[in-house]
Amino acid sequence: MSTRSLVIATGICAALTGLAVTGWIPGLTPGTVCASALRALTLIGLNLIFGVVGMLAFGQAAFVALPAYIAGMLGHAGVPLAAALLLAPIVVVLLARGVAEIFIRLPGVYLAVGTLGFGMVVEGLARAFPAWTGGASGLVFEQGRSIGTGAWCAIALAALFLGAGSYAWYVRGAVWRRLRAIRHDELAASVLGIDVQREKIKVFTIGSAYSAVGGLLLFYYVGVIIPEDAGVVRSLEQIGTLLLGGAGFVAGPIIGSFLVDWLFVISGYAARYELVIYGAVFLLIVIYAPQGVCGLLVGPWQRLFGAGKAGVDTTGPVSRPPAAAKVSGDAGPCLSVHNVFQSFGGVQALTAVSFDVRSGEVFSLVGPNGAGKTTLFNIVSGVQRPTSGRVLLDGRDVTALPVHLRAAAIGRSFQTPRLVPELTVLSNVMLRVDQLFAELTEPERQVVALEQLDIFDLGSLAPHRVAEISLGQRKLLDIARAAVGNPSLVLLDEPAVGLTSAELEHLSRMIRKLSARGCAVVIVEHNIEFVSAIAERGIVLDSGKEIARGRVREIMAQESVRAAYFGALS
Amino acid sequence: MNPLTQSIISGTMSGAVYALLAVGLVLAFHTSRVVNLAHGESFAVGGLTAAALSEAGQPFYVYVPAAIGASILFLLAIERLLLRPRRAWPTGSLILVTLAAAFLTRGVLQLIMGVDPLSFPRLFTGAPFRLAGGVLPQQGLALIAIGVLAAVSVTLFLLFTPLGHRLRAVAENPDAAELLGVNVDRARALAFGIAGALGGLSAVLLVPLVSVDYQAGLGMTLRGFIAAALAGMAPSLAVLAGFGLGLSEALVTNYGGALLQDPIVFLALIGIAVWQSRNIAFGGTGRA
Repeated sequence: MSTRSLVIATGICAALTGLAVTGWIPGLTPGTVCASALRALTLIGLNLIFGVVGMLAFGQAAFVALPAYIAGMLGHAGVPLAAALLLAPIVVVLLARGVAEIFIRLPGVYLAVGTLGFGMVVEGLARAFPAWTGGASGLVFEQGRSIGTGAWCAIALAALFLGAGSYAWYVRGAVWRRLRAIRHDELAASVLGIDVQREKIKVFTIGSAYSAVGGLLLFYYVGVIIPEDAGVVRSLEQIGTLLLGGAGFVAGPIIGSFLVDWLFVISGYAARYELVIYGAVFLLIVIYAPQGVCGLLVGPWQRLFGAGKAGVDTTGPVSRPPAAAKVSGDAGPCLSVHNVFQSFGGVQALTAVSFDVRSGEVFSLVGPNGAGKTTLFNIVSGVQRPTSGRVLLDGRDVTALPVHLRAAAIGRSFQTPRLVPELTVLSNVMLRVDQLFAELTEPERQVVALEQLDIFDLGSLAPHRVAEISLGQRKLLDIARAAVGNPSLVLLDEPAVGLTSAELEHLSRMIRKLSARGCAVVIVEHNIEFVSAIAERGIVLDSGKEIARGRVREIMAQESVRAAYFGALS
Repeated sequence: MNPLTQSIISGTMSGAVYALLAVGLVLAFHTSRVVNLAHGESFAVGGLTAAALSEAGQPFYVYVPAAIGASILFLLAIERLLLRPRRAWPTGSLILVTLAAAFLTRGVLQLIMGVDPLSFPRLFTGAPFRLAGGVLPQQGLALIAIGVLAAVSVTLFLLFTPLGHRLRAVAENPDAAELLGVNVDRARALAFGIAGALGGLSAVLLVPLVSVDYQAGLGMTLRGFIAAALAGMAPSLAVLAGFGLGLSEALVTNYGGALLQDPIVFLALIGIAVWQSRNIAFGGTGRA
């Protein structure tokens, strides 16, 4: 992807240079090409934050305008130009990191409102202190004027090339997979071992660095900055422009920026209608063409030049990664849940739940819906911290360990498989391989993922996109992925639901294989026949309390269990 | 004049508006799972409708119902035309849709009404009340009284009536609610309608004391959201949170100057974010 993206970036920049020099297209003068290129550069940041990861950053214009304001004010205060230009983006990037640290831990709407508010504050402050910021008439940058338009064009296109190239280099392979996984499902991503918060803070910081550097160049070229440049309307224009070009595509910011600027130039700039036009275009694109111009071009492009390399290159000697060392079964239970209580508000979801699971054992959690089984899985995998009680894994207390740090030891499949539909089967497996075998190269990790698929007889699916395979296949794939790296413990949440009889057979084989490899398997399942065949021991939960434990066949025959279970089901 | 008393009075007045906005926002959020970023536009739509009709010589018994009606229609349209057909979309995309709608509304209002701030005559005239060195206009008293009455009755409706329970059931699990015979679409429309009525009401009561322009909406959304977040999106606390925000904003403005109003509100948001972060699911994957 990297080389192809670089080729695209080079091609676009070369074409733009040609257009700027020849002036064949009306309205595309060197001056407008320069401004559009710099605007595209600022959009790369938004593309990373919002386009790739899907974070709701609604105040990005503030991070574009702030470095120019800071550098300008430093300049007026007598700081040398070079120092001001260097200092301003650094300050802004640190600020962006602060904003990210504060809002990213919360649900997405907090970042949305937080960044909207940040934009309002920056705009308001720029207006409120005219002695420093020039107020409504703006802050003027004299230095930019001394460079000719030709030189500015060269600077702008070089900067855009570096920006697009470095972006394409960063967002590839494992990083791309990881970021798309976060965008699609944060919980599933964290269960795979991805530190979601850290990644998001990193992306917001890096993205804001693009915004800051681009903004600095843009306003020194334009020569003046006004408070509106930091405000919410400008932020909206950025989002609208990016969406028009294609959010998440390397070329998205560039196409969007040039298209919008050019449309405004040839249509005669109409400030009165600007807000309506942006609002309408924004709304229409969000609803009808969320992939923008790039999305519309991708289909024909793939028909013309082939659908990219979906196949996998496995030639050449590749060193096998070391198998994870297993703790021997005699060392005590693999998983030990000790007197766990969980309450939500006034509702007692779990009361004094305790059980042990040995390595290589298949253990069953039974109970009607709402009995607390999924809550228990959340606690064991680290998605949730119990109100009280302890969870021990291989003898180590992990009760306080965050979810992504448990991922190497725990694999978890979900009731509805939480895979990334736009990625291939192989890439979905590689999401976990990336986390557990970070020291391997990309081709080596591909081999690990393919071997994993082969072990569970899913190798033939590897090149297909998850959106194309059946629900049953997705469920089996989710389990195969959970077993990557031979974790000590595998949690399966209703794996048999929705499977055909052939797939049920397949599932039984998979679970036996897991158990033979020494994994402790905990399974939540309503299909009693299936559970009785596969699991030896288990406990029955009802309303968060244990009502029976022992051999699965025997406990399922008990009258109290049948009453709780089938009473609730009927 | 006692500046402290005066800022408490004006804080209580804006608090009433924030309470109305927060209750509407929480109500819509609870039934649709979407924080409607176009919520504050219902304030701008209502206020500008009233101002336009009043300017055209219409009496208050025309422009007041018309304004509230316009606000209701506006939020109903957002629900019916934008959100309902996209029920299966992820929350983030729907938030984006409401933001786009907010900006389109802002643009349309700018085209129709121009950029100048507008207002209309007070409904409650007469000598203002003087208490403890502060001045409370009769319109202000009406704003506080009617605002509290409306916000509290919607809260009570939500907490204690069967219909209110059904609305909240929709929020918790739309599919289960549907199985139990609750008409989810109608429940959402009702919630957005009530939210619109509260937005229009707050505009009718507040605008005569200040003014309104095409870009008033987002600021109102921001404040309504902060109050709602302060209440942890709980309907029972939204009214209190609205008044808390209004009062603290007024007090800080009194001592720090009006220029600091936005930064202070933003600081409040940061404070809430930091405070809420402690309660977030461990592992740090809160759901939007």
